[in-house]
Amino acid sequence: MLILLLLLPLATALAMIVAPAGPWPRRLALGIPGLQLLLVVRMALQPAADLRLEWLPQLGLDFHLGQDGLSLPLVGLTALLTLMTVAATSLEMPRERLFFALVMATNLGLQGALLARNGLLFVIAFELILIPTTLLIAIWGHQRSRQAAIRYLLYGAVSGVALLSAVLALGLLNANGFSLAYDDMATAALPEGSRVWILGLLVLAFGLKLPAVPLHGWQPLAYSEASSPVAMLLAGAVSKLGAYGLLRFGVGFMGDTWEAWAPLIAVAGTAGAVYGALNAIAQTDMRRLVAYSSLGHMGLLLLALAAATPLSLQGAVAQVLAHGVISSLLFCVVGLIEAKTGTTEIAELSGLLNPLRGLPFTLGLFLLALMAAAGLPGMVGFVAELVVFQGSWSVFPLPTLGCLFASGLTAVYAVRLFNRVGFGKLDNAKAFYPATTWSERLPALVLSALVLMGGLWPPLTLGWSESVTTPLARHQPLIASLPANPILQELPS
Amino acid sequence: MTVLTPKPTVLPPSTHPFAEVVQRLEAGGSMLPDSPENLKQIIGIYKAYAVPMDFYWRDLLYIAERVFLNPLPAFKYFPSQEYLDLPNSYAGDSADLRIWRGEAGAHPELLEFMEKGETGRMPKLLHHLWHDRINMEFAEACMDAMFWHQGMGGRFYAYLESDTYKANADRAIKAYFKGNPLMLGLHKLFPEMFLEQVRKLSYYANLGLFWEVMAPVFFEMSDIYDEGGFSGVPAAMDFLVNGIFAIAGRPIYHHVYINGECLEIIPKSEGFTWLYEAALPYVEAVFYRTAPFRGTKSYNAQAGQVPAEQADFHYGILYADVFPVGSAGIPPTLLMQDMVHFLPPYLKEIYLQHRRGEEDQLIQLGITFQRSMYNVTSAVIQALRAALFYPLDDPDPEHLLANRRFFESQMDRFLRPEARLRDVQSQDYR
Repeated sequence: MLILLLLLPLATALAMIVAPAGPWPRRLALGIPGLQLLLVVRMALQPAADLRLEWLPQLGLDFHLGQDGLSLPLVGLTALLTLMTVAATSLEMPRERLFFALVMATNLGLQGALLARNGLLFVIAFELILIPTTLLIAIWGHQRSRQAAIRYLLYGAVSGVALLSAVLALGLLNANGFSLAYDDMATAALPEGSRVWILGLLVLAFGLKLPAVPLHGWQPLAYSEASSPVAMLLAGAVSKLGAYGLLRFGVGFMGDTWEAWAPLIAVAGTAGAVYGALNAIAQTDMRRLVAYSSLGHMGLLLLALAAATPLSLQGAVAQVLAHGVISSLLFCVVGLIEAKTGTTEIAELSGLLNPLRGLPFTLGLFLLALMAAAGLPGMVGFVAELVVFQGSWSVFPLPTLGCLFASGLTAVYAVRLFNRVGFGKLDNAKAFYPATTWSERLPALVLSALVLMGGLWPPLTLGWSESVTTPLARHQPLIASLPANPILQELPS
Repeated sequence: MTVLTPKPTVLPPSTHPFAEVVQRLEAGGSMLPDSPENLKQIIGIYKAYAVPMDFYWRDLLYIAERVFLNPLPAFKYFPSQEYLDLPNSYAGDSADLRIWRGEAGAHPELLEFMEKGETGRMPKLLHHLWHDRINMEFAEACMDAMFWHQGMGGRFYAYLESDTYKANADRAIKAYFKGNPLMLGLHKLFPEMFLEQVRKLSYYANLGLFWEVMAPVFFEMSDIYDEGGFSGVPAAMDFLVNGIFAIAGRPIYHHVYINGECLEIIPKSEGFTWLYEAALPYVEAVFYRTAPFRGTKSYNAQAGQVPAEQADFHYGILYADVFPVGSAGIPPTLLMQDMVHFLPPYLKEIYLQHRRGEEDQLIQLGITFQRSMYNVTSAVIQALRAALFYPLDDPDPEHLLANRRFFESQMDRFLRPEARLRDVQSQDYR
């Protein structure tokens, strides 16, 4: 089943090259992530699978795949958001087959990285994501998309080099012998002094991917210049690989060093949360506002990872899942608004809640997403943020307070944005917007349903990762190949 | 029948910002551009307006004459059969001035709708509570607008303060509350209280009598159009101008029926006429000013958004905004709801072809209504010009200049940014 998760997008991406034009490319692109979701559910019900094939042993490269409570929820999230990305793609999308092929290639890279149990395999999958996502930004983006794509590519390249260096260092400097298997990397005996710069490389690599302040230079431009479906995938799934990497490699493989540098990371996280929120308040464009909002929420994630308590790490995973869904929903809705009004400039929009000529349904979903981003009770964002704050408070009270303040600022820009865009009156000269159709609304509806489900039923985001986060919090090395129970059995009732 | 003819060009072109419209008025045209679609839209909406209007005038008179001072008028929107059968003075065989060739009783489409509504057959009260009915609230809002603004020309308002009126009203109040010591005691203690209510009821009668004329006019226009009778928008406007002159002198009065006796609060003998005491105040109040709470825009009284001077009110249908704010909208919103039931098929077809089709039909028909009211206003302006100034083909340039100054002064009222005159010049304004 593990191999199927990779073969399906690979085969689809290749099939897109020869697929005839018409409805089939879209159907195929919708079907594959759907199938992946079914596979994830099946895998969650069964004992953890493991697949190891020898590939290039002289390079330390094994085709080793596995699953645990950390990777499987993210594999599910990736499948879901790939499905939503395809569903949110306009029927009039030019070069549709190439688009879907690149989306499938991104999916392949993400799933490969999440399931990899070998450092080099992870690096290959991690790097694989960079090319299709760069093309997705450049070809289907807005006016400055090429500039955004080049910047994204440069930051991604630096991230890749840093990651490769860190992984090779972890293998080569291991006194127990060269190995890039996760289990060996987790128990690597590294020379004193090397752990700090290896962790630095890892933080650089994943901090760029996440992104975390001050490594976020690519993010606002890329998120705002990419087309909405691509931004959904980038913000919801691709960036989450950064969080996964920090948890798996940083906290998991470098536990003691991570703990030593945790205060600095917590402060950086808090600074990022406040910086992101303040920038979001200052934005005049909805896309950039959502981009900075996303950046701010990554600060909360960093705080949780830095605290590394059982609760905060569970909160971190929950935040990854919650933010993945919320940010995708936000970009999806912003995309719908842009498709209908032709702009995302806040000053040019008003009265979209108008029942007859506005976009009241879409704005309703937008409000829901903003409320979820602000962490209102009853929504998935509340669950994640509550657990993050609760878990981090005992270790880093001041940074936690700072993040709480930043979280409060979310409500400020959310209310401000909604007030300006939703209320007021429609402009007589411009507001002849076509209505959204149900097929256009469907992705946003599904994501909204998940936002509510996650808020009303917290086990949807919490509990999956307990088997992984608890040993991590105790600074036990993260051994991936331990036999594990079916994940769903670990969910709290 | 008077027919307006285009005037010869003897004056230099107008320099007014609405010079094009002024030129059209000088040529005997309307403020609304002449196009087949505009003609189709305005006639179609006249028809859709006339059917609920047939209910409005009947119920307004029912309230003014029968419900009168009922302290709990819960059933005032349920006019008696007598008022549904009340012969229209301008239709049917018994009419002394027949305008519409149809029947004098309530219009068949109205009766059918009253019976079934949109939902189906059920007790009247349920139709009422479900708002599956003709919304008299709109008619009352128009009456309120006339009553609230008052003093817009004519003698009607001044008469309401006269001793004669007070004496007539007092007589009616005492007759209505005869045998009711509580109400008579209240009347004694607060003599202005019921008197003010009677004044308002006189405006019910005023508006009812105004619409009694307009409903058959619009029915007739619809019939003529269906027979291919109107060549364009100016022809439709001419019909209205001619109609205005034909019925300008019809009486405006207020009678009330108490225990089978007819009491004349405003007798016909006072000589109040349709044009000066009803039509012009109605146009002024509802087309230009309207009551300040109808929702053309959001108000913030603390921010000084409610004008201090009545003349500064510009919230009538000619200024109304297309897009609703909150729960309000292009006034009169309830009228849109009423008209939508009676749209002729050709108008529905137009709406389906544009914007969001059926989904935003109410807005589209609201804008059509706005167009049609620009045409009605044009008719009023032309009628005033004919009454107060000179013929359009007058050979004297001084007279033509006076006409122009009149037209330009009328156009000045549409220079405010809120006015939709500029919008209705374009067919894309929907």
